[in-house]
Amino acid sequence: MFTLMYGLWEYLFRKDVYQMLILGLDKAGKTNVLEHLKTMYTTLVGLDPGKILPTVGLNVGRLDAKGQSIVLWDLGGQPALQSIWDKYYAESHAVIYVVDAANPARFAESKAAFDRMRSSSQLAEAPLLVMANKQDLEGAVGVPEISEFFGIGKTVPPDAPPMKVVPVCAHTGQGLKESIEWLVHAVRISPRLQRLRVSSA
Amino acid sequence: MGLWLSRMLSWFGDQEARILVLGLDNAGKTTILYRLQVGEIVATIPTIGFNVETVSYKNIKFQVWDLGGQTSIRPYWRCYYPNTQAIIYVVDSTDHERIGTSREEFHAILDEDELKDSLILVYANKQDLPGALSDAQIAEGLGLYSIKNRTWAIFKTSAVKGEGLTEGLDWLSNALKTKR
Repeated sequence: MFTLMYGLWEYLFRKDVYQMLILGLDKAGKTNVLEHLKTMYTTLVGLDPGKILPTVGLNVGRLDAKGQSIVLWDLGGQPALQSIWDKYYAESHAVIYVVDAANPARFAESKAAFDRMRSSSQLAEAPLLVMANKQDLEGAVGVPEISEFFGIGKTVPPDAPPMKVVPVCAHTGQGLKESIEWLVHAVRISPRLQRLRVSSA
Repeated sequence: MGLWLSRMLSWFGDQEARILVLGLDNAGKTTILYRLQVGEIVATIPTIGFNVETVSYKNIKFQVWDLGGQTSIRPYWRCYYPNTQAIIYVVDSTDHERIGTSREEFHAILDEDELKDSLILVYANKQDLPGALSDAQIAEGLGLYSIKNRTWAIFKTSAVKGEGLTEGLDWLSNALKTKR
């Protein structure tokens, strides 16, 4: 009986931790995004961009934003490593997809990885935020073109999960606060939150 | 104040980190240790017990413990677990048959309470030999993707040729700096 009550208590008052994936091709700036977020939202100082090495595995970041505990999973983006992305889908509340907006030559490759990710049923209802990164660089492509290219916001079926493209510069931190706040809100109202809660209980 | 001072000092002086090198027997742990320490290949015999050396790299003094990997002595690994900042787990990439055993030992290490905050660096070793599994295959074989609560990385290495080892240490020194 105690166990039952305790279980109920836990269920009602447990603090959720939102788990968010950071995906995208190699060199898109995923780790830079993570490190800058650490600087903004924790007492830690994130790594200097010049010191960041290509990720060959997983970087984990924990932070609190808008009163919400968040775990960020930054996975390596090299082609061989993309095979591990889907191992993290089932437990993710939301996805951040980082695109190097200053490198249109790799848009097609990025879109292919993006489409593979979106077609996974394990990510059903997961809010998706696309960061059009490196906006500080000359020749960076803007949000309208990126949205168009990645097929976001054209014909959205009514049951599609919330999606948004945000102009970001991970170097300066521009756009990161807005992104995180949008994601926290989107997860909070997402039916996926309830579903993950049930499956993890 | 004391804390602040020691932090200031640690910026200038060498940071120290205690690292365990683990893996099955014949994975190449001892060769890796001495390759890092003296920069050459030493003839090794199976380690019964442990080798310990200090390796200085990029302002970090790595105290590296290389523990014998044979079945009979694996239970003693746990004696060395307290205060460990990182695990370097070495896999013989050509040993297709024992990848399952390696995975079991690896997951037993991950489950250790005393190691729950340690960083995980995997060396997919012996890449110079034919038939070596790729880093992605080793990651899959070890079940690396089931790690969700801490930072990990995998590097293709060849201890004999000296490839990949310092890349791994570069990663480790970065990760130790931003560790929470």
